[in-house]
Amino acid sequence: MNRAAPLIELRGVSKFYRKGGESIDAIADLTLELPEKGMVAIVGPSGSGKSTLLHIIGAMDRPTRGEVIVAGQLLNGLSQGELTRFRRRTVGFVFQTFNLIPNLTAVENVSLPMEFNGVAKSDRVKHAKALLERFQLGHRFKHRPSELSGGEMQRVAIARAIANEPRLVLADEPTGNLDSKTGALIYELLKQISRERTVLVVTHAEGLAAMADRALHLQDGRIAA
Amino acid sequence: MGMIALGLRNLLRNKLRLVLVGILIGVPFFLLLAMYSIGDAVQRQTAVLTENVNTVLQLRARGSMGHVNMVGQDRILPRDVLEKVRGIEHVEHVEPYLLAMAPITPPNFVMHVGLAPTAVKRLESHGEAGNPRIIAGRDLTPEDAGQDVAIIGQGYAQWAGIKPEHMGTAMLTVDPTRTHPVIFGMDRPTRELRIVGMYASGYIFGDLQLFLPIDTFRSIYGTDQGISWLFVKVDSVGNVPFVAQRLREIVGDVADILVPESAAVFTATTSRRVTQFAGAGGLLAFALMVIVVFFVLLMTVRERAREIGTLRAIGASNGGVTAQFLTEAVALSLLGGALGLLLFRALGAMATGRLFTLGIGPFLPSHYKPLFESLTVSNQVSASVVLLILIVAVLAALIGSAYGIWRAVRLSPIEAMKHE
Repeated sequence: MNRAAPLIELRGVSKFYRKGGESIDAIADLTLELPEKGMVAIVGPSGSGKSTLLHIIGAMDRPTRGEVIVAGQLLNGLSQGELTRFRRRTVGFVFQTFNLIPNLTAVENVSLPMEFNGVAKSDRVKHAKALLERFQLGHRFKHRPSELSGGEMQRVAIARAIANEPRLVLADEPTGNLDSKTGALIYELLKQISRERTVLVVTHAEGLAAMADRALHLQDGRIAA
Repeated sequence: MGMIALGLRNLLRNKLRLVLVGILIGVPFFLLLAMYSIGDAVQRQTAVLTENVNTVLQLRARGSMGHVNMVGQDRILPRDVLEKVRGIEHVEHVEPYLLAMAPITPPNFVMHVGLAPTAVKRLESHGEAGNPRIIAGRDLTPEDAGQDVAIIGQGYAQWAGIKPEHMGTAMLTVDPTRTHPVIFGMDRPTRELRIVGMYASGYIFGDLQLFLPIDTFRSIYGTDQGISWLFVKVDSVGNVPFVAQRLREIVGDVADILVPESAAVFTATTSRRVTQFAGAGGLLAFALMVIVVFFVLLMTVRERAREIGTLRAIGASNGGVTAQFLTEAVALSLLGGALGLLLFRALGAMATGRLFTLGIGPFLPSHYKPLFESLTVSNQVSASVVLLILIVAVLAALIGSAYGIWRAVRLSPIEAMKHE
């Protein structure tokens, strides 16, 4: 039984949107604790609140109600600048469409979060290269995203996500734009990095969710099971 | 890879667009530089005219126009006036002139003017206001003293069939015997003068003169003594009344003393109007630049919303995003400035004159237009021009990009999560 403090705590979190005069409950009174390290899959149909939950945990959106505590930090009261610093140090992001900066090389893309974090150039280049080599991209240092395959781009994106050694990695449909074989490879990588940190993956793929240490099934903004 | 460097690299993403935007900003820059050079040229011209006008007094024989060959106007200033005037305190220098009218196709006249080769080329009847500029060939030089050479007004040249490309080889016959009811037919031999330069004064009558060395004039017209006009240059505007008073005392018995001011007033007024128009044109050019930067930045932010969201998600600060887009905006403006400068160097001298004629000329009183149609604008790149470009580029970038950057900074990192 893991008795250490959870990495993520949500207490009575709700998120309402107003659309055309109608109130939509994206997240409804969600209370949740997720531990440090391990892979958690968030699954559910479209509109179930998966992405909203990811945004709130990733300090990109604020809840309408309730408290969000990540890595011991209560996010509710933080200013935009503080949220930026929080994301920089604590959260890594992996996107469905990779979202690499198109005119930067693989090394430069991976270095970017470290630069925002004030890491010296020589150190960040060295670390970026080490990460890329770890993901079998040693021969792609100077390649731009347009010169990489989908699987390679997502591996660069994962390297970028963990460049600042964050305690939390959020992945939004990371295999959505990949074939199943490459998708399985990416899942394997995420699984691998989840041994050192918490990896939260939003996915439609139940099969891949089964590989996670825990799966949260969302339905109408609530955990279904 | 700092955000500033990223901003610079972003410029090269779409080279075709970069060139197009550069041209879109460069053309207003060209317009701005053209307006600047027009304003500068007019101010320089005004300064020269003011200097030549407000500190100059004109002497003529009493009641006479001073033309050596005009019926009833044959009295000219005695030569000793020259020495008397030179001795007056605050007189900087004196410029003697001799004038003779010559008929071309009656009833029109041209004016032959003998002067020291380096003296100001003053225009008859507007002697105080004239500012002729050489448009072909060369000006008279001290070496031309006593030589059979002349420079000719473009109107006179047209009548005589002399073209600008003929400077240095064209010959003009001066015939003192040619008569007209109001002109003496002087029994003197004709003389062939070599035309070395052509000038434009900007108005029709001013362009109907021939300037030749005064000794050559004396030899042609047989006028060994006397002066038609004596222009007296005073060392400062403040001393003009004193010198005028002394002139009245010393040579008032033989000379009319004219204090020409009207031209200076006209010049200052016109100059102010032209400068105002040029300023308005410059502001319009600046507004165009700001508008181009505004729309380019807005389009860029819209296109790169997801990328900005990604940068925000992975930790880019507001300052970082601002630095990136501001760098792009300033670099684009500077590129436009450089293109505008190249255009200006290539076309400035030619196009600016046209621009002035078409853009500013119509707003001037009709009788002043010709004076400025021959405005000589410079396409030289001085330190002040470079400074102007730098300041305007940075200002246009700051103002034009402000809204786009504000939009970029306000973009949520959630933009990064949006799927195609």
